[in-house]
Amino acid sequence: MNPHLIRELTDLLGRDAVLSSAEDLMLYEYDGSVEQAQPDCVVFPRARDHVAGIVRLAAKYKVPLVGRGAGTGLSGGALTREGGVLTVFSRMNHILEIDAENRRAVVEPGVVNLDLSRAVDHLGLYYAPDPSSQKSCTIGGNVSENAGGPHTLAYGVTTNHVTGLEVVLPDGQIFRMGGKTAETPGYDLTGLFVGSEGTFALITEIIVKLSRKPEAVKTLLAVFDVIDDAPETVADLTGRAITPAACEMLDGWTLRAIEDFVHAGFPRDSAAVLLIEIEGLAEAVEAQAAQVIEICNLHHAREVRLARDARERDLLWKGRKNAFGAVGRLSPSYYVQDGVIPRTKLPAALKRIGEIGEKYGFQIGNIFHAGDGNLHPIILFDQRDHAQFERAVAASGEIMRHCVESGGALTGEHGVGMEKNELMPLMFSEADLDLMRQMRAAFNPDGRLNPGKLFPLGKSCGEIRVMPAGIASRIVAS
Amino acid sequence: MNTGAATSLAEKLSQRFTAAPSSGDPGALASYEVDCVRPAAIVQPADASEVGEFLRFAAAEKLAVIPCGGRTKLGIGAPPARYDVALDLSRMNRILAYDPRDLTLGVEAGVGYRALSEVLAAERQFLPLAPPFADRATLGGILAADSTSPLRQAYGGPRDFVLGMEFVTGSGAQSKSGGRVVKNVTGYDLHKALIGSLGTLAVITRVNFKTFPVPPIRAIFVAEFADCAAAHAFSMEIAKSPLGPQMIEEVSPEAARLLSSLPEQGTGLASNLSKALDERVCSPFTERWSVVIVAAGHESVVERHARELRSLADRSKAVQFARDEAATEEPNQSALIAALCEFPRIAQQSSAAATIFRIAAIPTAMPALVESIRALAQRSEIPHATIARSSGLIYAALLPTSDDGATVEHLARASDEIFRVAAELGARARIESAPLALKRRVSVWGPPHEDFELMSRVKKVFDAAGVLSPGRFVGGI
Repeated sequence: MNPHLIRELTDLLGRDAVLSSAEDLMLYEYDGSVEQAQPDCVVFPRARDHVAGIVRLAAKYKVPLVGRGAGTGLSGGALTREGGVLTVFSRMNHILEIDAENRRAVVEPGVVNLDLSRAVDHLGLYYAPDPSSQKSCTIGGNVSENAGGPHTLAYGVTTNHVTGLEVVLPDGQIFRMGGKTAETPGYDLTGLFVGSEGTFALITEIIVKLSRKPEAVKTLLAVFDVIDDAPETVADLTGRAITPAACEMLDGWTLRAIEDFVHAGFPRDSAAVLLIEIEGLAEAVEAQAAQVIEICNLHHAREVRLARDARERDLLWKGRKNAFGAVGRLSPSYYVQDGVIPRTKLPAALKRIGEIGEKYGFQIGNIFHAGDGNLHPIILFDQRDHAQFERAVAASGEIMRHCVESGGALTGEHGVGMEKNELMPLMFSEADLDLMRQMRAAFNPDGRLNPGKLFPLGKSCGEIRVMPAGIASRIVAS
Repeated sequence: MNTGAATSLAEKLSQRFTAAPSSGDPGALASYEVDCVRPAAIVQPADASEVGEFLRFAAAEKLAVIPCGGRTKLGIGAPPARYDVALDLSRMNRILAYDPRDLTLGVEAGVGYRALSEVLAAERQFLPLAPPFADRATLGGILAADSTSPLRQAYGGPRDFVLGMEFVTGSGAQSKSGGRVVKNVTGYDLHKALIGSLGTLAVITRVNFKTFPVPPIRAIFVAEFADCAAAHAFSMEIAKSPLGPQMIEEVSPEAARLLSSLPEQGTGLASNLSKALDERVCSPFTERWSVVIVAAGHESVVERHARELRSLADRSKAVQFARDEAATEEPNQSALIAALCEFPRIAQQSSAAATIFRIAAIPTAMPALVESIRALAQRSEIPHATIARSSGLIYAALLPTSDDGATVEHLARASDEIFRVAAELGARARIESAPLALKRRVSVWGPPHEDFELMSRVKKVFDAAGVLSPGRFVGGI
């Protein structure tokens, strides 16, 4: 990297806020996806003016610029695919304002998701979006990726909880959009910027909604002897318009892997379990729990167990949230997918995933947000075997194709990033993508901000036959 | 456009596109006027590809096009800079996909809200839009105007339950964003920018929604208070409690009188309105502030609301608290709720110079704002009416008895003052309805804001040539 740029960045931020040695940079070549791309330089701004200064220097030296929170993202969004300056927001981690009466908080992008909920806990409030990585992921990263989580079934994803942003465009201009109010006159810029995967601007301040903590919570574990009964139950719950706060499914293979690791209390001899949480007014929770139990029983649940206290509830959720760690112990490599299908098609989709696994000779585990049709198939394989690796990539592609053909989507919460950018033509026409590219160019005209993400790089491929290198190298080696 | 040119444009269009049968009829054209500007022709496309073909033609011919549906909200926005052709989407009124068991729905933009509601009701589902002009509004129009409703308290706005859209840009490119499933982060959320864009970015051709179950039981409660501050304090107490009502509306005494004095004809409202608003519930002669609350859900949930709302009302020094028993029997027919949803329309129709502010405010700023506007209107001797939605939205209507020059003068001064007070209190105000003479003097979108530059960049992406609704939006977009 240009030593003049390093010097200017050091002058701006101080020596302790700029990393450029090879051993330091190695620490930033991964994110949650373990895709690999090394930055040329890592900087740690402490204030908006630092960010504006960094952006202007990157423009002056014409180098790529990528924002990063905790680096827990699963689609490579926070990696410098084309090198350049990685701007890490971990030191901009202040909660600037808590306005309990108006249910708003103003935060810097580096605030950790769960830290905000902890800071407002004594007021009976919390921040609703709860990605599995909420103990470490930042709200700035959540906003960039429009992150989800188990409880988004009832409360919506990040975009439903953000009312205003302050951003720095790649030319150094600072803009505020939206605000504390429920709406502002003009186009919904906030809605457009949330989920733009760091390709429009760097975010320096976020106004979020705070939600009131529910009065009552019930967590149910429904146990099934026949795997198909679980998705049928979910489809029936949806069809009867019963919306729990969360509705997660684990198949037998996955729950056994978890039991070996976490001992969460999932029955090892079951074919599938549903982890269902109901929240709200005590009376509403009672009424809904009774309905849920009735429908589980209708679909031959062996038993429906109610978590007796917070400890039992936490244990069940610990099992759910540590699933990937548990699976990691069983296989040299695994690959977590993220796709969405209409909820009515859940039983068929699980059958299809099973068939695909058989066809390619893989164990595919299923643990996912069943209530909103957000699948997370986990393909187990051995990356050292090149033929297996090719088959894993192909199997994964077939699953994504099935999601889109069923009327679903390529990603429900992980983002496109550099994982699925080549798959975008499955869902969007060239005209759709052109308009999106033009939108990116309106804010990020020379594409220096987070290059190589979201859009297919090879413009001419009409049909995608081979997974791109992006996906292949993302496969997790454990 | 002079008459000769207009006639030849109309002829040219009718050869290439599906013109409205009455396109050549001056009377029909008059009903498409926007701020007294009359289009030369009306095009009624059959599908999205015809919209695309027409907009490509319009772009090439440098025509100005205003998309419309039920034509109930053409008065929103600044007067158009140009207007040649009305693009009437009302023929595109098909329900394209409805999967009640998945709670998802896809419709063409011209589908009528009322007709769609009936289809959803048959499955005991609904869309929480509850817009004004409910009998004539189309889904495309409701979204383009971002019509608001009391239900935002519980369900959020369309940005929270629209899953995706298909649309045609100003250059005639058919495009889409989002999808059809309830959870999806694939690509940019371009459709969010279209909500509230007033037809200035693209013509919406299809909208995908998440639908919602109709709650088993619904009950309406009305509490009355001596003043605005007490009424608002009660709302805030409800917000702090574990209760989760579907709506909380604070109604000024003047608004209560307006709603209860409705003529039965011409409003499209149920005829038993005044019965629902009888003296027990909202006395038409009262000086009291009413808070109308709707609780919904399982019976035990509604009964808990009934108990706790009563005790909260007592503690908040309510003068009266009543449950609308009539509404319990036929909750979906409640004239009171219909009237609250239709407030903007009722206010608009009550005065030839009705000037209606839509103001987004943080809840703690609402009473000061409402009181200031009321005091201002009283000083200027302009009749007025206000409702405040606890989702953070105030409708403040100035309803003068005449529309002469002096009145407009008064309104202009009052408007400047309201924009000033709103800004001071951190609120964002806009005028949703006003006489043309006032719109020529006052910017209906309020004072300019720093994000305008970004908005003009968004406009350039969707409609670089300025074909769609030029001049009607913020900052002259």
